Amino acid sequence: MSEENKPADKPEEKPVPAAKPVAPAAPAPEPAPPPSLGTYGKMLKEKGIECTPMALSTGVETIEIAPAQLPAALKFLRESPQAQLDFLVTVSGVDSPDTIDSVYHLWSYTKTDELVIKVRVPKANIPADKLPEVPSIASYWQTADWHERETYDLVGIRYIGHRYLRRILNPWDWEGHPLRRDYKQLVDALNDKNPESFR
Amino acid sequence: MTIQTKLPEFKTDEMVINLGPQHPATHGVLRLILTLDGEVVKHTEPVLGHLHRAQEWQGQNRTWFQYQALIDRVDYLSGMFTSWALSRAAEVIDGTEVPRRAEFLRVLCAELNRISSHLLWLGTYLIDLGALYGFPFYPFIEREKILTFFEEISGQRMMYNYIRIGGVQRDPKAEWFKKVEEFTKDFPKRVDEWEAIVTENPIFLNRTKGIGVLTKEVAQAYGVTGPTLRASGIDFDLRRFKPYSVYPELKFDVPVYNKDGDTWDRYMARIQEMRQSIEIIKQVLDMIPEGEIMSKKQNAGLRIKAGEGFAAVESPRGILGCYITSNGSDKPYRFRWRNPSFSNLSVLPPLLEERPISDIMAIFGSLDIILPDVDR
Amino acid sequence: MKIDGTVVRGDHFSGNIAEIRKFAVMSLSWLTVIFVAVWGVCWALGIFIPMCLANSSFDFAAILSEVCKALTPIAAVLVFIPINAMFMVLMERRALALFTRRNGPNRVGPDGALQTAADAVKLLLKEDITPTGADALMFTLAPIIFFAPSIFGALPLLAAVTNNHKLFQIVDLPTGIFYVLAASSVPVVGIVMGGWASNNKYSLMGGLRSAAQAISYEIPLVLSLVTICLLAGTLDVVSIAYQQSGGLLNWNILGGGALIGLNKAIAALVSSSGAPFAEVMNAYYPYGWLSFVGAAVLCMCTVILFGVYLIGACAEINRIPFDLPEAESELVSGYNTEYSGIKFAIFFLAEFTNLFIVSTIAVVMFLGSGDCPLPTWLNPLSYPAVYEPLAKALSPVLSVLINDLHLINPPTFWAALWVIFKTYSLIFFAILVRGTLPRFRIDQLMDFGWKRLIPITLVIFVLVAFARGVINFHV
Repeated sequence: MSEENKPADKPEEKPVPAAKPVAPAAPAPEPAPPPSLGTYGKMLKEKGIECTPMALSTGVETIEIAPAQLPAALKFLRESPQAQLDFLVTVSGVDSPDTIDSVYHLWSYTKTDELVIKVRVPKANIPADKLPEVPSIASYWQTADWHERETYDLVGIRYIGHRYLRRILNPWDWEGHPLRRDYKQLVDALNDKNPESFR
Repeated sequence: MTIQTKLPEFKTDEMVINLGPQHPATHGVLRLILTLDGEVVKHTEPVLGHLHRAQEWQGQNRTWFQYQALIDRVDYLSGMFTSWALSRAAEVIDGTEVPRRAEFLRVLCAELNRISSHLLWLGTYLIDLGALYGFPFYPFIEREKILTFFEEISGQRMMYNYIRIGGVQRDPKAEWFKKVEEFTKDFPKRVDEWEAIVTENPIFLNRTKGIGVLTKEVAQAYGVTGPTLRASGIDFDLRRFKPYSVYPELKFDVPVYNKDGDTWDRYMARIQEMRQSIEIIKQVLDMIPEGEIMSKKQNAGLRIKAGEGFAAVESPRGILGCYITSNGSDKPYRFRWRNPSFSNLSVLPPLLEERPISDIMAIFGSLDIILPDVDR
Repeated sequence: MKIDGTVVRGDHFSGNIAEIRKFAVMSLSWLTVIFVAVWGVCWALGIFIPMCLANSSFDFAAILSEVCKALTPIAAVLVFIPINAMFMVLMERRALALFTRRNGPNRVGPDGALQTAADAVKLLLKEDITPTGADALMFTLAPIIFFAPSIFGALPLLAAVTNNHKLFQIVDLPTGIFYVLAASSVPVVGIVMGGWASNNKYSLMGGLRSAAQAISYEIPLVLSLVTICLLAGTLDVVSIAYQQSGGLLNWNILGGGALIGLNKAIAALVSSSGAPFAEVMNAYYPYGWLSFVGAAVLCMCTVILFGVYLIGACAEINRIPFDLPEAESELVSGYNTEYSGIKFAIFFLAEFTNLFIVSTIAVVMFLGSGDCPLPTWLNPLSYPAVYEPLAKALSPVLSVLINDLHLINPPTFWAALWVIFKTYSLIFFAILVRGTLPRFRIDQLMDFGWKRLIPITLVIFVLVAFARGVINFHV
């Protein structure tokens, strides 16, 4: 993997969570050329799956896919002989400033190519008291089973079609999703003064 | 009188049993809800999170400099690798050039740590199989030596905090390398001894051969990595497949077993991996250059440029990855661990199907799970 | 902890010499204390008190002295079992530490010699917990039923290991070995009861496993002993012990008496007195080469039987590699998961007592009981010229102790010494096995018992029955 640094072209305005100190603004990046589709982006386009190129994540091709087309895209990438991206490394959730992302890192067992797929749900589209919804691929790709459960647990993305979407790391009755930027811990376990503390 | 040709239908109820979280052989606090028919497992549901320490949350709420000291806890048996994964991810995003001597020191410590982790696995696996008091202590004697090496260079026996973003923390003295060299000469003999006791032991073979067969397809579908994957016959080692650090310059084999993918193969894969690690250490001791060991200032103002990236290292358990989104501040914006134990453990329920209780530990132990790595 | 000490860092052998010495000193002093204490109690109760009473004009003196004598064997067992179990636990821990190059317990008392005594006190003082939902009566009865057989099952063996000392001839059982075996099959009931009454699924599984295992392994165990009885022609343990006296060649492990003729013939050859070599041989092996083949077959069979007995005994008392009922890594602690305090102590005590008893049975049935392994014609002590000067020098002291006070009974003393040596060697072997092997799986255990051991013992039984016909035993 090359170690060259490609700064993100979209400088992300960090949200200012109420309880958190203000994160300093990122230094203004140099204007980068608009990203173009890489190998896998083109492959998907040929298959008729819409994808938007994004800035390379440290030299790795990154594309954005609409939620509805995610299962088809992953199925194609895993099974087609020219793509062969048959190793789902991880499913992560990111609470970005404007969107909530479900990020899929795809590797291959036979070649060194990598691909990052992002499914971004704009926060504006999420109704209040609802979780962002992304189709689940757990029934097709078993790796995603626990990874999706974990992302649901910590970041709060509802994977539609997951057969057992239940908290995995936190207790089943935990409230909230801790890795959201606006998450406030109701019970401060470390504070002795708090009457609701565990201590 | 009629002769009964068919036995009457004899139906028994299934029994639900809790294995753990407090159980001698769950390597920490895993809880398995087992549905048993007699002694045969019908269904398994792992319940995780008893050791959840919110490592990702802590990563987002602590500065880079603070969090470096915490990450050894993610996988306490191979702290060098967790540090390395974080450092690599940060360096990839930041574009930091790591000094060559530091890279060699990283490889040296990581391979020693791989050996110590496998040694602990070997001892505890034999305990899982019921050899409670005899053999299991022998690997620990050798592990003790490795922990002493680490204590001498980092001041700690388990939570090293040695590999830092931009290099390594301390430069060991020449005597330290001498000691390591002596260890590399002695160690293969010890491995031979253990193999003489364990590998062909008939009871051990009975307990491990043909048990917990993990096929290639299942292993790939569940994202299993590390020696567990290679014992299923897939040649996938990050050190050779996507070489990082100075691994391209080193010669070593990746033991792959293309036979059954059973627990015995996994045992052999780890034993052979220890031998290969010793080979790597010998080469590193010959090749290590003089020079700087740190290229980034280690203080509270440690910052990483904005950007995002994923970097992984081949830990003793598999691919330990780190997905970081940085916004250029002193704290990571999003911190995501990709832990090998988490994915490796998810393959446990299908492996346990229709196996007797005694095999649970033989199979579970052979996956080499470590619970803090699963729960974070 | 710094690891610069000799134990961890030292090379493989030299580092352990000091530990081996400590282990030996600890074992010898414990054994001395145990057997001096046991013999002291027996002598006081069985000899000294009746001796005092004999001169008194007290009305019930005769009855009282009889009662004392009758209570002696029971007192011996009751004193012996707890102290012995303490020593065996300590020995096991120290020996395992030796095998694994650790230190073992070395804090309480000199070199840790009192560790298990402290543990026993701790266990007795602990709270006695009965879990919710447990069947309290059964839960309490289980350790007792587990423990009691080891007390009354050991009684017939007492006479066999003390060269038939008159104090220990409490029961003259013609079916001695069967009584011992019957008693040793009772404890499994205790295990099942404990497993069932604990209201714990792990305990239940442990108890049921134990029942299955005990039933399967009792058959080869009993068959191997029955074959020895067939060779000996008696079930009485005292007679079996007596038949084997006269050195290694007479022991049941080497042909079950098939080599007695050879032994006698060599003795005749060496002493060059009595009947000539060929005559003796002809008397014992009347059919020429057929007899020799028979003797060879018998030797082979009895050695295998000894192995079968050891395996069966290991399974019977739940030792590694057959410790499935309490498989720690699977069933937490099996049938005694829920036990604590004194009940757990009793389970523990009984386990080690059972180990001692099966070792003693092996010594009595296979290893010549209290017999010196050197054949008489090789043993310097069997020639009066060697020890007579010594005996004369010591006679003023010894004759008081032997003849007046009856404190020392030379045949019993030597027999007990050899029995102790042999029994603890077997126990040490069991510890060595524990320190080496992993555990069987339950189905493999059953396969091994039913498909290997039982057929082997049956075949050997038939072989022995035929081979026995071509040799004269005990002419």
